[in-house]
Amino acid sequence: MLNDKKDDIFLSRWMNKELSKEEIQEFKLHPEYKHYIKIIAGADALDLKKYDIEKELSNLKSKKQDPIKNKPNLVIKFLPYLTIAASIVIILGIFLFNPNTSFHSNYGEQLTVTLPDGSEMILNAKSTASFNTKKWKENRILVLDGEAFFKVKKGSKFTVNTKNGKISVLGTQFNVQSQNDFFEVTCYEGKVTIAYQKQVEILTAGKGYRNLKNIQPKSWSFIDTTPSWLSNTSSFKSIPLKYVFKELEEQYNLQIKTVNIDLETIYTGTFPNNNKDIALKTVFNTLGIEYRISQDDGKTVILE
Amino acid sequence: MPDNKKSTCNEKAFDQFFKSNSKLLRNYIYYKFGDLDQAEDIVQDAFIKLWNNCSKVPLNKAKSYIYTIATNIGISNTRHQKVKFKYKDYIIHRTRDVNNESPEFIFLEKEYLEKLKNAIADLSERQREVFLLNRIDKKTYKEIAELSGVSVKAIEKLMHKALLTLRKKIGNNI
Repeated sequence: MLNDKKDDIFLSRWMNKELSKEEIQEFKLHPEYKHYIKIIAGADALDLKKYDIEKELSNLKSKKQDPIKNKPNLVIKFLPYLTIAASIVIILGIFLFNPNTSFHSNYGEQLTVTLPDGSEMILNAKSTASFNTKKWKENRILVLDGEAFFKVKKGSKFTVNTKNGKISVLGTQFNVQSQNDFFEVTCYEGKVTIAYQKQVEILTAGKGYRNLKNIQPKSWSFIDTTPSWLSNTSSFKSIPLKYVFKELEEQYNLQIKTVNIDLETIYTGTFPNNNKDIALKTVFNTLGIEYRISQDDGKTVILE
Repeated sequence: MPDNKKSTCNEKAFDQFFKSNSKLLRNYIYYKFGDLDQAEDIVQDAFIKLWNNCSKVPLNKAKSYIYTIATNIGISNTRHQKVKFKYKDYIIHRTRDVNNESPEFIFLEKEYLEKLKNAIADLSERQREVFLLNRIDKKTYKEIAELSGVSVKAIEKLMHKALLTLRKKIGNNI
Protein backbone atom coordinates (compact mmCIF):
# COMPACT_ATOMS: atom_id res chain seq x y z
CA MET A 1 0.00 0.00 0.00
CA LEU A 2 2.00 3.00 1.25
CA ASN A 3 5.37 1.46 0.67
CA ASP A 4 4.26 -0.67 -2.19
CA LYS A 5 6.76 -0.01 -4.97
CA LYS A 6 4.16 -0.99 -7.55
CA ASP A 7 1.54 1.45 -6.33
CA ASP A 8 3.40 4.72 -6.47
CA ILE A 9 0.23 6.76 -6.80
CA PHE A 10 -1.68 5.29 -3.88
CA LEU A 11 -1.81 8.53 -1.89
CA SER A 12 -2.76 10.49 -4.99
CA ARG A 13 -5.65 8.19 -5.60
CA TRP A 14 -6.65 8.44 -1.96
CA MET A 15 -6.65 12.23 -2.11
CA ASN A 16 -8.66 12.15 -5.27
CA LYS A 17 -11.12 9.72 -3.67
CA GLU A 18 -10.33 7.07 -6.21
CA LEU A 19 -9.65 4.26 -3.74
CA SER A 20 -11.96 1.27 -3.63
CA LYS A 21 -13.99 0.59 -0.47
CA GLU A 22 -11.62 -2.20 0.50
CA GLU A 23 -8.57 0.00 0.05
CA ILE A 24 -10.15 2.75 2.17
CA GLN A 25 -11.04 0.29 4.93
CA GLU A 26 -7.53 -1.04 4.98
CA PHE A 27 -5.92 2.42 4.93
CA LYS A 28 -8.07 3.66 7.81
CA LEU A 29 -6.66 0.92 10.01
CA HIS A 30 -3.13 1.81 9.07
CA PRO A 31 -1.21 3.78 11.79
CA GLU A 32 -0.10 6.32 9.19
CA TYR A 33 -3.65 7.16 8.20
CA LYS A 34 -4.20 9.85 10.87
CA HIS A 35 -0.96 11.58 9.91
CA TYR A 36 -2.04 11.94 6.30
CA ILE A 37 -5.49 13.09 7.31
CA LYS A 38 -3.84 15.80 9.34
CA ILE A 39 -1.54 16.88 6.52
CA ILE A 40 -4.47 17.25 4.15
CA ALA A 41 -6.56 19.05 6.78
CA GLY A 42 -3.64 21.34 7.53
CA ALA A 43 -2.97 22.04 3.86
CA ASP A 44 -6.62 22.82 3.31
CA ALA A 45 -6.43 25.34 6.13
CA LEU A 46 -3.75 27.24 4.22
CA ASP A 47 -4.34 29.97 1.75
CA LEU A 48 -2.27 32.50 -0.12
CA LYS A 49 -2.18 36.19 0.47
CA LYS A 50 -5.10 37.83 -1.27
CA TYR A 51 -4.75 38.68 -4.91
CA ASP A 52 -6.56 41.87 -5.85
CA ILE A 53 -7.42 41.20 -9.47
CA GLU A 54 -9.00 44.62 -10.08
CA LYS A 55 -6.00 46.44 -8.66
CA GLU A 56 -3.58 44.32 -10.65
CA LEU A 57 -5.57 44.96 -13.79
CA SER A 58 -5.52 48.71 -13.28
CA ASN A 59 -1.77 48.51 -12.60
CA LEU A 60 -1.41 46.65 -15.83
CA LYS A 61 -3.42 49.28 -17.68
CA SER A 62 -1.24 52.10 -16.38
CA LYS A 63 1.82 50.18 -17.54
CA LYS A 64 0.26 49.60 -20.92
CA GLN A 65 -0.07 53.33 -21.34
CA ASP A 66 3.51 53.98 -20.36
CA PRO A 67 5.30 53.73 -23.68
CA ILE A 68 8.73 53.06 -22.20
CA LYS A 69 7.73 50.16 -20.01
CA ASN A 70 5.08 49.16 -22.44
CA LYS A 71 7.30 48.62 -25.44
CA PRO A 72 10.71 47.38 -24.43
CA ASN A 73 10.96 45.79 -27.86
CA LEU A 74 10.71 49.16 -29.52
CA VAL A 75 13.63 50.53 -27.53
CA ILE A 76 15.79 47.60 -28.52
CA LYS A 77 14.79 48.00 -32.14
CA PHE A 78 15.80 51.65 -32.08
CA LEU A 79 19.18 50.94 -30.57
CA PRO A 80 21.00 50.21 -33.85
CA TYR A 81 19.77 53.52 -35.24
CA LEU A 82 20.78 55.27 -32.06
CA THR A 83 24.29 53.91 -32.26
CA ILE A 84 24.58 55.05 -35.88
CA ALA A 85 23.26 58.48 -34.95
CA ALA A 86 25.66 58.66 -32.03
CA SER A 87 28.66 57.77 -34.18
CA ILE A 88 27.65 60.40 -36.74
CA VAL A 89 27.49 63.00 -33.99
CA ILE A 90 30.93 61.97 -32.74
CA ILE A 91 32.46 62.01 -36.25
CA LEU A 92 30.90 65.39 -37.00
CA GLY A 93 32.21 66.57 -33.68
CA ILE A 94 35.75 65.62 -34.63
CA PHE A 95 35.61 67.29 -38.03
CA LEU A 96 33.35 70.25 -37.52
CA PHE A 97 34.25 71.57 -34.15
CA ASN A 98 37.57 73.24 -33.81
CA PRO A 99 39.83 71.55 -31.33
CA ASN A 100 40.36 74.98 -29.84
CA THR A 101 41.57 75.10 -26.32
CA SER A 102 40.57 78.13 -24.38
CA PHE A 103 41.72 79.46 -21.03
CA HIS A 104 39.95 82.07 -19.03
CA SER A 105 40.90 83.75 -15.80
CA ASN A 106 38.30 85.38 -13.61
CA TYR A 107 38.41 88.46 -11.40
CA GLY A 108 41.61 88.62 -9.41
CA GLU A 109 42.84 85.33 -10.81
CA GLN A 110 46.11 84.44 -12.46
CA LEU A 111 46.40 81.39 -14.62
CA THR A 112 49.65 79.76 -15.66
CA VAL A 113 49.35 77.71 -18.81
CA THR A 114 52.02 75.53 -20.35
CA LEU A 115 51.51 75.54 -24.10
CA PRO A 116 51.99 72.36 -26.18
CA ASP A 117 55.59 73.27 -27.11
CA GLY A 118 56.57 73.98 -23.51
CA SER A 119 56.20 77.74 -23.79
CA GLU A 120 54.60 79.36 -20.82
CA MET A 121 51.72 81.76 -20.67
CA ILE A 122 50.53 83.48 -17.51
CA LEU A 123 47.12 85.06 -17.78
CA ASN A 124 46.34 88.08 -15.63
CA ALA A 125 42.88 88.66 -14.17
CA LYS A 126 39.85 88.62 -16.49
CA SER A 127 41.71 87.45 -19.56
CA THR A 128 41.00 84.86 -22.20
CA ALA A 129 43.42 83.05 -24.48
CA SER A 130 42.59 80.39 -27.01
CA PHE A 131 44.57 78.37 -29.51
CA ASN A 132 44.34 75.35 -31.73
CA THR A 133 46.13 72.45 -30.08
CA LYS A 134 46.20 70.36 -33.24
CA LYS A 135 47.88 72.96 -35.41
CA TRP A 136 50.13 74.25 -32.66
CA LYS A 137 53.17 72.38 -33.95
CA GLU A 138 52.93 74.01 -37.40
CA ASN A 139 52.06 77.51 -36.35
CA ARG A 140 52.10 78.78 -32.85
CA ILE A 141 49.18 81.16 -33.02
CA LEU A 142 47.19 82.27 -30.04
CA VAL A 143 44.32 84.69 -29.64
CA LEU A 144 44.37 86.88 -26.57
CA ASP A 145 41.89 89.22 -24.98
CA GLY A 146 43.26 90.69 -21.78
CA GLU A 147 46.73 90.59 -20.37
CA ALA A 148 49.28 87.82 -20.44
CA PHE A 149 52.97 87.28 -20.00
CA PHE A 150 54.71 84.89 -22.35
CA LYS A 151 57.92 82.94 -22.02
CA VAL A 152 58.33 81.55 -25.50
CA LYS A 153 60.54 78.55 -26.21
CA LYS A 154 62.81 79.02 -29.20
CA GLY A 155 61.37 77.62 -32.37
CA SER A 156 59.07 78.63 -35.18
CA LYS A 157 57.26 81.92 -35.21
CA PHE A 158 55.10 82.49 -32.18
CA THR A 159 52.20 84.83 -32.77
CA VAL A 160 49.77 86.46 -30.39
CA ASN A 161 46.71 87.82 -32.14
CA THR A 162 44.77 90.55 -30.46
CA LYS A 163 42.21 92.82 -31.94
CA ASN A 164 44.62 95.71 -31.42
CA GLY A 165 47.53 94.13 -33.22
CA LYS A 166 49.63 91.12 -33.82
CA ILE A 167 52.80 90.31 -31.87
CA SER A 168 55.28 87.88 -33.37
CA VAL A 169 58.44 86.50 -31.85
CA LEU A 170 60.86 83.68 -32.29
CA GLY A 171 61.69 83.02 -28.67
CA THR A 172 61.49 85.56 -25.94
CA GLN A 173 59.62 86.80 -22.92
CA PHE A 174 57.04 89.46 -23.32
CA ASN A 175 53.86 90.83 -21.89
CA VAL A 176 50.77 91.70 -23.88
CA GLN A 177 47.86 93.71 -22.62
CA SER A 178 45.01 94.16 -25.02
CA GLN A 179 41.66 95.26 -23.67
CA ASN A 180 39.17 97.13 -25.79
CA ASP A 181 41.15 100.17 -26.90
CA PHE A 182 44.09 99.58 -24.60
CA PHE A 183 47.12 97.93 -26.13
CA GLU A 184 50.49 97.54 -24.48
CA VAL A 185 53.36 95.20 -25.17
CA THR A 186 56.49 95.00 -23.09
CA CYS A 187 59.47 92.90 -24.06
CA TYR A 188 61.61 91.33 -21.34
CA GLU A 189 63.93 89.20 -23.42
CA GLY A 190 64.75 88.77 -27.09
CA LYS A 191 62.94 90.65 -29.77
CA VAL A 192 59.26 91.22 -30.50
CA THR A 193 57.56 92.38 -33.66
CA ILE A 194 54.27 94.20 -33.35
CA ALA A 195 52.11 94.64 -36.41
CA TYR A 196 49.19 96.98 -36.07
CA GLN A 197 47.30 98.14 -39.10
CA LYS A 198 50.16 99.04 -41.38
CA GLN A 199 52.64 99.96 -38.70
CA VAL A 200 55.35 97.62 -37.61
CA GLU A 201 57.19 98.13 -34.32
CA ILE A 202 60.18 96.15 -33.22
CA LEU A 203 60.79 95.92 -29.50
CA THR A 204 64.03 94.75 -27.99
CA ALA A 205 64.47 93.62 -24.40
CA GLY A 206 63.62 96.31 -21.87
CA LYS A 207 61.39 98.20 -24.26
CA GLY A 208 57.67 98.76 -24.11
CA TYR A 209 55.11 99.88 -26.63
CA ARG A 210 51.70 101.29 -25.93
CA ASN A 211 48.87 102.30 -28.20
CA LEU A 212 45.89 103.95 -26.56
CA LYS A 213 42.88 105.51 -28.13
CA ASN A 214 43.24 109.26 -28.56
CA ILE A 215 46.88 109.18 -27.49
CA GLN A 216 49.89 108.94 -29.74
CA PRO A 217 51.53 105.52 -29.69
CA LYS A 218 54.66 105.65 -27.66
CA SER A 219 57.63 103.54 -26.70
CA TRP A 220 59.60 103.55 -23.47
CA SER A 221 62.32 101.71 -21.68
CA PHE A 222 62.27 99.86 -18.35
CA ILE A 223 64.56 97.72 -16.29
CA ASP A 224 62.21 95.16 -14.78
CA THR A 225 62.74 91.53 -15.79
CA THR A 226 59.15 90.43 -15.36
CA PRO A 227 55.87 92.32 -15.39
CA SER A 228 54.95 93.60 -11.95
CA TRP A 229 51.57 91.80 -11.94
CA LEU A 230 53.37 88.50 -11.74
CA SER A 231 54.39 89.54 -8.24
CA ASN A 232 50.85 90.66 -7.48
CA THR A 233 51.35 94.32 -8.18
CA SER A 234 49.68 96.33 -10.87
CA SER A 235 51.84 99.20 -12.00
CA PHE A 236 51.01 102.08 -14.26
CA LYS A 237 53.18 104.58 -15.95
CA SER A 238 51.52 107.67 -17.39
CA ILE A 239 48.27 105.92 -18.05
CA PRO A 240 44.81 107.49 -18.17
CA LEU A 241 42.89 106.87 -14.99
CA LYS A 242 40.14 104.86 -16.69
CA TYR A 243 42.57 102.01 -17.36
CA VAL A 244 43.71 102.04 -13.74
CA PHE A 245 40.10 101.81 -12.61
CA LYS A 246 39.51 99.02 -15.09
CA GLU A 247 42.42 97.07 -13.65
CA LEU A 248 41.14 97.64 -10.11
CA GLU A 249 37.73 96.33 -11.17
CA GLU A 250 39.23 93.26 -12.78
CA GLN A 251 41.53 92.39 -9.93
CA TYR A 252 38.96 92.75 -7.18
CA ASN A 253 35.65 92.21 -9.00
CA LEU A 254 34.50 95.75 -8.24
CA GLN A 255 32.27 98.28 -9.90
CA ILE A 256 33.71 101.78 -9.68
CA LYS A 257 31.09 104.48 -10.05
CA THR A 258 32.69 107.60 -11.35
CA VAL A 259 30.95 110.95 -11.21
CA ASN A 260 32.65 114.25 -11.88
CA ILE A 261 36.06 112.67 -12.34
CA ASP A 262 38.25 113.22 -15.35
CA LEU A 263 39.00 109.72 -16.46
CA GLU A 264 41.68 110.91 -18.81
CA THR A 265 43.85 112.14 -15.92
CA ILE A 266 47.29 110.61 -16.32
CA TYR A 267 48.29 108.32 -13.49
CA THR A 268 51.57 106.79 -12.48
CA GLY A 269 51.70 104.38 -9.58
CA THR A 270 51.13 100.85 -8.38
CA PHE A 271 48.65 98.91 -6.31
CA PRO A 272 48.78 95.39 -4.84
CA ASN A 273 46.60 92.68 -6.35
CA ASN A 274 46.12 90.81 -3.11
CA ASN A 275 44.83 93.41 -0.69
CA LYS A 276 41.72 95.28 -1.69
CA ASP A 277 41.78 97.86 1.12
CA ILE A 278 45.38 98.84 0.52
CA ALA A 279 44.85 98.88 -3.23
CA LEU A 280 41.85 101.20 -2.99
CA LYS A 281 43.62 103.43 -0.44
CA THR A 282 46.78 103.72 -2.53
CA VAL A 283 44.98 104.66 -5.69
CA PHE A 284 42.38 107.03 -4.31
CA ASN A 285 44.48 108.68 -1.60
CA THR A 286 47.18 109.65 -4.05
CA LEU A 287 44.49 111.09 -6.30
CA GLY A 288 42.87 112.89 -3.37
CA ILE A 289 39.54 111.17 -4.01
CA GLU A 290 37.17 110.15 -1.21
CA TYR A 291 35.58 106.74 -1.66
CA ARG A 292 33.34 104.26 0.08
CA ILE A 293 32.19 100.73 -0.67
CA SER A 294 28.46 100.30 -1.06
CA GLN A 295 26.86 98.34 1.79
CA ASP A 296 24.37 96.69 -0.54
CA ASP A 297 26.61 94.29 -2.42
CA GLY A 298 30.09 95.12 -1.15
CA LYS A 299 31.15 95.41 -4.76
CA THR A 300 30.32 98.93 -5.76
CA VAL A 301 32.84 101.66 -5.02
CA ILE A 302 31.30 105.08 -4.87
CA LEU A 303 33.58 108.05 -5.42
CA GLU A 304 32.75 111.41 -3.89
CA MET B 1 -8.86 39.25 -37.78
CA PRO B 2 -12.15 37.75 -38.77
CA ASP B 3 -13.87 38.11 -35.41
CA ASN B 4 -12.76 41.12 -33.45
CA LYS B 5 -14.29 39.94 -30.20
CA LYS B 6 -12.07 36.90 -30.15
CA SER B 7 -8.93 38.94 -30.72
CA THR B 8 -6.55 39.38 -27.82
CA CYS B 9 -6.27 43.01 -28.90
CA ASN B 10 -9.88 43.59 -28.01
CA GLU B 11 -9.64 45.38 -24.69
CA LYS B 12 -12.71 43.76 -23.18
CA ALA B 13 -11.59 40.31 -24.21
CA PHE B 14 -8.14 41.02 -22.84
CA ASP B 15 -9.50 42.23 -19.49
CA GLN B 16 -11.74 39.20 -19.24
CA PHE B 17 -8.80 36.97 -20.00
CA PHE B 18 -6.72 38.70 -17.33
CA LYS B 19 -9.44 38.32 -14.72
CA SER B 20 -9.89 34.62 -15.30
CA ASN B 21 -6.21 33.71 -15.58
CA SER B 22 -4.01 36.07 -13.61
CA LYS B 23 -4.57 34.64 -10.14
CA LEU B 24 -3.75 31.06 -11.02
CA LEU B 25 -0.73 32.17 -13.02
CA ARG B 26 0.51 34.18 -10.05
CA ASN B 27 0.11 31.19 -7.74
CA TYR B 28 1.72 28.83 -10.23
CA ILE B 29 4.75 31.12 -10.62
CA TYR B 30 4.94 31.52 -6.86
CA TYR B 31 4.99 27.76 -6.27
CA LYS B 32 7.69 27.43 -8.90
CA PHE B 33 9.99 30.28 -7.90
CA GLY B 34 9.12 30.87 -4.26
CA ASP B 35 8.49 34.63 -4.10
CA LEU B 36 4.93 35.87 -4.23
CA ASP B 37 5.71 39.57 -4.79
CA GLN B 38 8.04 38.70 -7.58
CA ALA B 39 5.39 36.38 -9.00
CA GLU B 40 2.95 39.28 -9.16
CA ASP B 41 5.50 41.37 -11.07
CA ILE B 42 6.11 38.50 -13.44
CA VAL B 43 2.36 38.22 -14.07
CA GLN B 44 2.28 41.91 -14.96
CA ASP B 45 5.22 41.54 -17.33
CA ALA B 46 3.77 38.46 -18.97
CA PHE B 47 0.43 40.15 -19.62
CA ILE B 48 2.11 43.27 -20.96
CA LYS B 49 4.02 41.10 -23.36
CA LEU B 50 0.79 39.44 -24.38
CA TRP B 51 -0.79 42.85 -24.98
CA ASN B 52 2.14 44.03 -27.07
CA ASN B 53 1.93 40.91 -29.19
CA CYS B 54 -1.85 40.63 -29.16
CA SER B 55 -2.12 40.59 -32.92
CA LYS B 56 0.16 37.55 -33.11
CA VAL B 57 -1.34 35.56 -30.24
CA PRO B 58 -4.96 34.45 -30.68
CA LEU B 59 -7.05 34.21 -27.55
CA ASN B 60 -7.14 30.40 -27.59
CA LYS B 61 -3.33 30.31 -27.49
CA ALA B 62 -2.99 33.12 -24.97
CA LYS B 63 -3.07 30.92 -21.90
CA SER B 64 -0.14 28.73 -22.83
CA TYR B 65 1.60 31.88 -24.09
CA ILE B 66 1.45 33.67 -20.71
CA TYR B 67 2.50 30.51 -18.84
CA THR B 68 5.51 30.10 -21.10
CA ILE B 69 6.47 33.77 -20.92
CA ALA B 70 6.03 33.93 -17.14
CA THR B 71 8.03 30.74 -16.60
CA ASN B 72 10.82 32.06 -18.79
CA ILE B 73 10.95 35.36 -16.91
CA GLY B 74 11.02 33.43 -13.65
CA ILE B 75 13.88 31.26 -14.87
CA SER B 76 15.92 34.21 -16.10
CA ASN B 77 15.29 36.03 -12.79
CA THR B 78 16.50 33.11 -10.71
CA ARG B 79 19.15 31.78 -13.05
CA HIS B 80 22.00 32.86 -10.84
CA GLN B 81 20.67 32.00 -7.46
CA LYS B 82 18.72 29.19 -5.95
CA VAL B 83 15.78 30.91 -4.31
CA LYS B 84 14.39 29.43 -1.16
CA PHE B 85 10.65 29.07 -1.12
CA LYS B 86 9.33 31.93 0.98
CA TYR B 87 6.11 31.28 2.86
CA LYS B 88 6.14 33.76 5.75
CA ASP B 89 3.59 36.51 5.01
CA TYR B 90 2.60 34.73 1.81
CA ILE B 91 0.86 31.62 3.05
CA ILE B 92 -1.86 32.52 5.49
CA HIS B 93 -4.30 30.50 7.55
CA ARG B 94 -7.74 30.28 6.18
CA THR B 95 -10.05 32.06 8.59
CA ARG B 96 -12.54 29.74 10.13
CA ASP B 97 -14.95 29.57 13.00
CA VAL B 98 -12.79 28.72 16.01
CA ASN B 99 -15.35 29.30 18.71
CA ASN B 100 -15.85 25.71 19.68
CA GLU B 101 -12.18 24.84 19.73
CA SER B 102 -10.14 24.82 22.91
CA PRO B 103 -7.20 27.25 23.20
CA GLU B 104 -4.69 24.40 23.35
CA PHE B 105 -6.07 22.95 20.19
CA ILE B 106 -5.73 26.31 18.42
CA PHE B 107 -2.18 26.63 19.69
CA LEU B 108 -1.34 23.10 18.60
CA GLU B 109 -2.97 23.75 15.28
CA LYS B 110 -0.89 26.87 14.79
CA GLU B 111 2.27 25.02 15.66
CA TYR B 112 1.33 22.22 13.35
CA LEU B 113 0.57 24.57 10.48
CA GLU B 114 3.98 26.24 10.89
CA LYS B 115 5.60 22.81 10.69
CA LEU B 116 3.54 21.95 7.65
CA LYS B 117 4.43 25.20 5.85
CA ASN B 118 8.06 24.59 6.60
CA ALA B 119 7.80 21.09 5.20
CA ILE B 120 6.07 22.41 2.06
CA ALA B 121 8.88 24.92 1.58
CA ASP B 122 11.36 22.07 1.65
CA LEU B 123 9.56 20.07 -1.06
CA SER B 124 11.12 19.89 -4.47
CA GLU B 125 9.81 22.51 -6.88
CA ARG B 126 7.74 20.03 -8.91
CA GLN B 127 6.25 18.31 -5.83
CA ARG B 128 5.34 21.61 -4.22
CA GLU B 129 3.81 22.92 -7.42
CA VAL B 130 1.54 19.88 -7.75
CA PHE B 131 0.64 19.67 -4.07
CA LEU B 132 -0.28 23.36 -3.68
CA LEU B 133 -2.09 23.67 -7.01
CA ASN B 134 -4.21 20.75 -5.87
CA ARG B 135 -4.78 21.77 -2.24
CA ILE B 136 -4.88 25.58 -2.43
CA ASP B 137 -6.13 26.18 -5.95
CA LYS B 138 -8.26 23.01 -5.99
CA LYS B 139 -6.97 22.04 -9.40
CA THR B 140 -7.55 18.49 -10.59
CA TYR B 141 -4.63 16.33 -11.65
CA LYS B 142 -5.74 16.75 -15.23
CA GLU B 143 -5.72 20.54 -15.01
CA ILE B 144 -2.31 20.53 -13.36
CA ALA B 145 -1.01 18.17 -16.03
CA GLU B 146 -2.19 20.59 -18.72
CA LEU B 147 -0.57 23.57 -17.03
CA SER B 148 2.77 21.86 -16.63
CA GLY B 149 2.63 20.04 -19.93
CA VAL B 150 3.10 16.55 -18.50
CA SER B 151 0.92 13.44 -18.18
CA VAL B 152 -1.69 12.93 -15.46
CA LYS B 153 0.25 9.87 -14.35
CA ALA B 154 3.33 12.00 -13.74
CA ILE B 155 1.26 14.37 -11.62
CA GLU B 156 -0.13 11.48 -9.59
CA LYS B 157 3.35 10.17 -8.92
CA LEU B 158 4.55 13.62 -7.87
CA MET B 159 1.60 13.99 -5.54
CA HIS B 160 2.20 10.63 -3.92
CA LYS B 161 5.87 11.50 -3.40
CA ALA B 162 4.99 14.95 -2.07
CA LEU B 163 2.78 13.42 0.60
CA LEU B 164 5.42 10.89 1.60
CA THR B 165 8.01 13.67 1.87
CA LEU B 166 5.74 15.87 3.96
CA ARG B 167 4.88 12.99 6.26
CA LYS B 168 8.55 12.21 6.79
CA LYS B 169 9.41 15.85 7.42
CA ILE B 170 6.64 16.50 9.92
CA GLY B 171 7.41 13.49 12.07
CA ASN B 172 5.28 11.89 14.76
CA ASN B 173 4.61 14.60 17.35
CA ILE B 174 1.26 15.87 16.44
